[in-house]
Order: sequence, then structure tokens, then C-alpha cells
Amino acid sequence: MIDQIVFYSLALVTLGSALAVVLHRNTVHSSLFLGLCLAGVAGLYASLGADFLFGAQIMVYVSGIAVLVMFVVMLLGRASDLHLRQVNERWMAAVLVCGVASVGLLRVARLHSATVATGATRPGTHEIGRLFLGEWLVPFELISLVLLAALLGAVFFTRTENAQ
Amino acid sequence: MTAQLTLAHYMTVAGLLFLIGIFGALTRRNIIGILMSIELMFNAANINLAAFDRFLHPGGVTGQALALFVMTVAAAEIVVGLALLLAIYRGTDTVYAEDFNLLKG
Repeated sequence: MIDQIVFYSLALVTLGSALAVVLHRNTVHSSLFLGLCLAGVAGLYASLGADFLFGAQIMVYVSGIAVLVMFVVMLLGRASDLHLRQVNERWMAAVLVCGVASVGLLRVARLHSATVATGATRPGTHEIGRLFLGEWLVPFELISLVLLAALLGAVFFTRTENAQ
Repeated sequence: MTAQLTLAHYMTVAGLLFLIGIFGALTRRNIIGILMSIELMFNAANINLAAFDRFLHPGGVTGQALALFVMTVAAAEIVVGLALLLAIYRGTDTVYAEDFNLLKG
């Protein structure tokens, strides 16, 4: 019973704030709702027993990416933007695309409507560490190269002598 | 009366989040809005990966590890995207996607 209450309230928070991210006119409010939505996703991870993923989501997304997005919104925002329409004129086509995609997605989801969780959840951080430093060592090192490249790229693109 | 939570519940939430993300990426005029919508789609995929671990492979962590990789790539993507946006904003003084037509003949 408590599982259902937790799941449905988290799903409500996540989907409601995701809708606000997409539909809100004010980009500052949009980015604040993005933080709430990512926190809701972190709660969903916790309800699935993914403890390390929960921590990483809070640290990387809620306190990293959401703050970064907010920072850039405030750096680039102008007061005149608050009165502008934020949705382009092809939203009908987008609704159509979403409608078609939803048929497929919900049909796949219905295949698993009888799959229930077995066994209790247990902490997975230990196993994730073993996997990363054992079997998946090469991808783990490669992803750090990706992060380094992203860091250098961000510094390169935002240098001021590059602007002209 | 309350049925047990199934994998379909989590997949439905993830699917709806993904659809909201697609809608945002297709319709937002602001580049920052498009980047935020892309983040929503990454998160939808991550929910599915964690849910597959819990429901289909009890005790396994492969899906969670994959989700961590997705998270890293998403972080790199948003950093480079925002840096590009700052660079473009300096040149064109706009953040709206329809005004980025420098390559138009």
C-alpha cells in the first residue's frame, strides 16, 4: 500500500513538473521546475532500490546540471523574453508525433503488466564498484576521456577571443 | 483493491516523460528549453534501465551501471551545449532557434 502511494506521488511530481518545464513561458521558472522534475526521478530511483543511482542523480543532476542551466538562463535572459511566446507554430505536428509514439510505447509497456518485483531490494554500490573496476574497466576509463573532452570543449567554446 | 506495482507502471511513467521531452524538443523556441527537454528524455531512459534491473534481474546492477554511463554522457552533452549556446549568443545576440540562420544562403 505504502509503495503505491510513494510511486504515484513521485510520478505525479515528476510528470507535472516535466509538463511545466515544457510549457512554461518564463524560462527561469522552467529551469526551476527542471530541478524539481529531476528530484522526482531521483525519488523513483530510490523507490526502485537503486541507492547509488539516487545519490548520483541528486549530485549530478539536481545540484549540477539544473544549477548550470539556471545559471545560463540568468546569464542570457532579458526582461523582454518574459512576454514572448516560447512555443513555435508547429506544435500540432509535435502533438501528432507524440500521439503516434505513445501508441508504441504504451503497447510495449503493457507487455509487462504482470511482471512484479521479486525479492527485497539491497544496496548495489558495492557491486557497481566491482563492475566498473573489473569487467567494465575500459568503458569506465573511456567515459572519463569523454568528460575531459567535454571540459576542454566548454573552455574552448567560451573563450572570449573566440567570439569574433 | 490495490494491485501490486508492476514493471508496466514504471515503463508508463518513463514513456510519458519521454513523450513530454520529445514535445518540448520539437516545440520550444528557446535553445535552453530544447536542452532541458533533451535532459528529460535522458532521464526517462534511465528510469527504464533502473526498473529493468529491479524487475527482470533482481540483485543485478548492470542496468544501474549503464544508467550511470548515460548520466555522464548527458552531463557532457549539456555542458558542451550550453558552451556552444554562449558562443552563438555572443555572435548573434539571440537564443531562439529560428534566428540561427547564419549558414542560410
